[in-house]
Amino acid sequence: MSEPSIFFFEVNERQGVFHRRAFLMGGLAGGGLLALGGRLAQLQLVEAQRYQKLSAGNQFNYRLTPPPRGLILDRNGVALASNRPNFRLLVTKESKDFDVEATLDDLALLVPIDGSRRARLLKDIARAPKKAPVAVMEDMTWEEFSRVNIRAPELPGVTADMGEVRVYPFGGAFAHVIGYVAKVSDRDLEKAKDEPDQDLLHHPGFRIGKQGVEKALDRELRGRPGATKAEVDAQGRVVRLDPEGDIPPTAGKEVRLTLDADIQNRALEVMGDESGAIVVMDIRNGDLLAMVSAPSFDANRFVKGLSGPEYKALAEYERKPLLDKALSGTYPPGSTFKPTVGLAALAAGVDPEARVNCGGSWYYGNRTWRCWQKNGHGSQNMHEAIKNSCDVYFYQTALKVGPDAIATAARAMGFGQIFDIGIPGQKKGLVPDRAWKKAAFKKNPANQIWFPGETPSYGIGQGALNVNALQLAVMTSRLANGKKALNPRLIKSVGGVEQPSGAAVPDLPFSMEHLAYVRGGMEAVANDVRGTAYRQSQLGLGDVKMAGKTGTAQVRSYDKVANRKSDSVAWRLKDHNLFVAFAPYDDPRYAVAVIIEHGGLGGATAGAPRAREVMRVALLKDPEIRARIERPMPMPEAPVETGPDGAVEGAAPEDPIEGAPPPPTPTPAPGAPQ
Amino acid sequence: MTLSGGLSRPGERDRPIIKFMEIDWTLCLVLCLIAGTGSMMLFSIAGASWEPWAAKHLIRFGIYFVLMIGLAMIDLRVWFSLAYPVYGVGLILLVLVEAIGDVSLGAQRWLSIGGFRFQPSEIMKIGVVLALARYYHGLSADSARLSWKLLIPATLIGAPTLLVAHQPDLGTAVLIAAPGIAVMVLAGLSLRLIIAGIVAVLAALPPFIFFVLHDYQRNRILTFMDPEKDPSGNGYHIMQSKIALGSGGLMGKGFGLGSQSQLNFLPEKQTDFIFATLAEEFGFIGCFSVLFLYGVAIFMALRIASISHSHFGRLSAAGVTATFALYVLINGAMVMGMAPVVGVPMPMLSYGGTVMLTVMVGFGLVQAVRVHRYTEVTSGKGSLM
Repeated sequence: MSEPSIFFFEVNERQGVFHRRAFLMGGLAGGGLLALGGRLAQLQLVEAQRYQKLSAGNQFNYRLTPPPRGLILDRNGVALASNRPNFRLLVTKESKDFDVEATLDDLALLVPIDGSRRARLLKDIARAPKKAPVAVMEDMTWEEFSRVNIRAPELPGVTADMGEVRVYPFGGAFAHVIGYVAKVSDRDLEKAKDEPDQDLLHHPGFRIGKQGVEKALDRELRGRPGATKAEVDAQGRVVRLDPEGDIPPTAGKEVRLTLDADIQNRALEVMGDESGAIVVMDIRNGDLLAMVSAPSFDANRFVKGLSGPEYKALAEYERKPLLDKALSGTYPPGSTFKPTVGLAALAAGVDPEARVNCGGSWYYGNRTWRCWQKNGHGSQNMHEAIKNSCDVYFYQTALKVGPDAIATAARAMGFGQIFDIGIPGQKKGLVPDRAWKKAAFKKNPANQIWFPGETPSYGIGQGALNVNALQLAVMTSRLANGKKALNPRLIKSVGGVEQPSGAAVPDLPFSMEHLAYVRGGMEAVANDVRGTAYRQSQLGLGDVKMAGKTGTAQVRSYDKVANRKSDSVAWRLKDHNLFVAFAPYDDPRYAVAVIIEHGGLGGATAGAPRAREVMRVALLKDPEIRARIERPMPMPEAPVETGPDGAVEGAAPEDPIEGAPPPPTPTPAPGAPQ
Repeated sequence: MTLSGGLSRPGERDRPIIKFMEIDWTLCLVLCLIAGTGSMMLFSIAGASWEPWAAKHLIRFGIYFVLMIGLAMIDLRVWFSLAYPVYGVGLILLVLVEAIGDVSLGAQRWLSIGGFRFQPSEIMKIGVVLALARYYHGLSADSARLSWKLLIPATLIGAPTLLVAHQPDLGTAVLIAAPGIAVMVLAGLSLRLIIAGIVAVLAALPPFIFFVLHDYQRNRILTFMDPEKDPSGNGYHIMQSKIALGSGGLMGKGFGLGSQSQLNFLPEKQTDFIFATLAEEFGFIGCFSVLFLYGVAIFMALRIASISHSHFGRLSAAGVTATFALYVLINGAMVMGMAPVVGVPMPMLSYGGTVMLTVMVGFGLVQAVRVHRYTEVTSGKGSLM
């Protein structure tokens, strides 16, 4: 230190400066602390509520609970669509740095996840919105479920839960009417963009109605989702459940149909391998008791999701199981249309007793019109013509009344229209008349006029005329019920609210006498020994008798075919086989319409026996009818034991059908539709 | 002071028992309270468990407390004579870190010697203060105000700061440089120079942020400006910390009931963000009390500095206080979303041995200054040097 020492005044000066500046520094530190305090006050006192909300949002997580889907019941309360438990494995992308690959690797040790499944899951999870769970596995076994549940706390974002899945106890019997539920597709999402329950739609356990009642009443069946409150940590693991904070879901509404499970099941059963439809209707109120399309498919498969080959097999099968033939399939009614033509004639003032001579064929308009009975029926009045299904009689009668009058009668009987039964997919078919021709052939004016040659085939239910099975059943009901223009009803009640009955309708534009006359002809079909379906229409239920009408609908022209026998012809070239019936004849209660696609010649062979079997179930299920059949002998001292009330033992034991094609019955000689 | 009458006798103040009595026990109590609160919070966030943090925190504090008492008994002249050697050793170690240090988390901070890992930068937090105090001890007021001699303290500060900043550890660099600058200011640095310095720093800040800083450092600062822009990335820490603080409200959620910390939403809950845990569970009242304790400690330490008779004692005690205060203010501001996340813990409250050691050694120096406040410090030659 070469410099001189520091002097005292300097010592004092240094001390003074230090004191002033130390004071300043203390002030700065104090000010800094005060600033922190002020900031604390701002955060903790002024904005506390906002942060408390954010904190609760961190801490608690509401997970959506899908509501149980509403049950679908038959008219007696038998479940047609219900729910069963389903152990499900879900993965939720909780945070941004969620490692999907590692999670799937861990899960693969617990449950089987193969390569292709893994690839699909990776895609699904990547596509799913944040915090929306994705189903990794459905229908786990109890062992798998518990294995995952034990490990779940260590696996962030993984939950194993018990959800519900739709089940259709009768498999295929109701597949077309009830439809099915399936995974929500992108198209569904697009369509439901404006609906409230978006979270529900994205939930992996949710299924949306795709067909039939499930689709038509989807919103009613869906219910309202609830939520479970869970405390979660920063990694998204559930730390604690808070049952008090749960919001319970509201179950979907219960839908009750007018269908009867027993009748429906029997109807599908008697169809066997055949393709076609059966519709059973209560004549008194229009309730549909059965509506079957065959062959059918197991709706449960669709809930799970069909594999590609499975779907292809269904879609490409010749007999078209996916098509609802009761509503969407339209066919020429053939001779089942003759009662309607008869009504049109009676309404037009044609005398039913006026006789037409049938010689097996009739020459008109430069062409020979054949009767199915080559040798002819001889002299026929209307009653006999219906009983024998005489074509020549109806060729001539149709010509007498003309196409427009027939069309009017057909429409009055329910053809050519769509009924509001609450489910989509009906095709209304076609009832041709002069106005229709004009509109249909706009581009070809030469075809706009109604050619006289079209009228005779109209009279036997061929030509442009097209109907569906439901319309046939409605026609039969209207014919049988007295006078009402009855409408069908499928949905009995939704959530306990009774739906309007089909009986509150105006009368038919036909007189009671005319209706009774035509019904008489149909009774003879089934009960006159020479009726076209006598042997196939015997119910065997005492004095409870059935009335009906056979029908054959051509699917090809027979002009150049010598032999109409169809045994040797390919299935798809055979005639459609139709039958309509109602019973009991003296007090009509049930109507049935049967269409067997390519069932072969003559409505009696394939259609009538099936109609009979289904009719028997319907009759035996009716306690009043059963009482009438099983009434005790009028002998006072020996009361006969009656069977249990309402119990149905199905058809008689000597049932000739049982799923197999009917035994070959000697058909009337070939020639023309019967 | 009951013994003050007898303390005027020469040599009396060198007796260990007298020295022991002269320790500021009120300050000791405040430090114990803060460390106790820290241990309590560590107990809470471990889910009411002494493991893994609370017990260690207490034990460590106990050991360092004894160390502090021991350091307080060391004669200020010894501190004085060790000032440059400590600084020199620290600087050499920093250079060694640069050359052979361990890389952890992308930064070279650690030095292992015989299995013992430590951060030499911590030594410099005290070393710089000691070296500057010693230098200013022999400097006239005029020279301290404005002269070419100031290049020496500037170099004393600059060398370790740059070395640490290069590691890179900006938080520690600031904590080395700022107390050093505080000592320069306290020693009487020209006000014009101070203002010019502040202006220069402010002007240099934007280019520094955008051209010199590493990406992650820049991101921290940018995120701090607008934390809600990226709430799950860089802004996550700040956002979650603010939620923890704010949701505590006036009274807090209660001991052990802070959902933000208990459910791990709060990052670094046991170290840098322990204050947020405290705020969540004990609310405004708890936080304000702890801040008050820190204020008391700072005030008492500054008072000790100002009653010291030696310039070395004054400056070193005040420098240590400045370090301590900076810790508190930077951590507080960071937790409350007023400063970028820089990894500066809350002294005595946060879990972590290194910082606690530094702070307790610092308080040992402060206590030594108090115990030896009448001691005349000389460099052995000359009356005042």
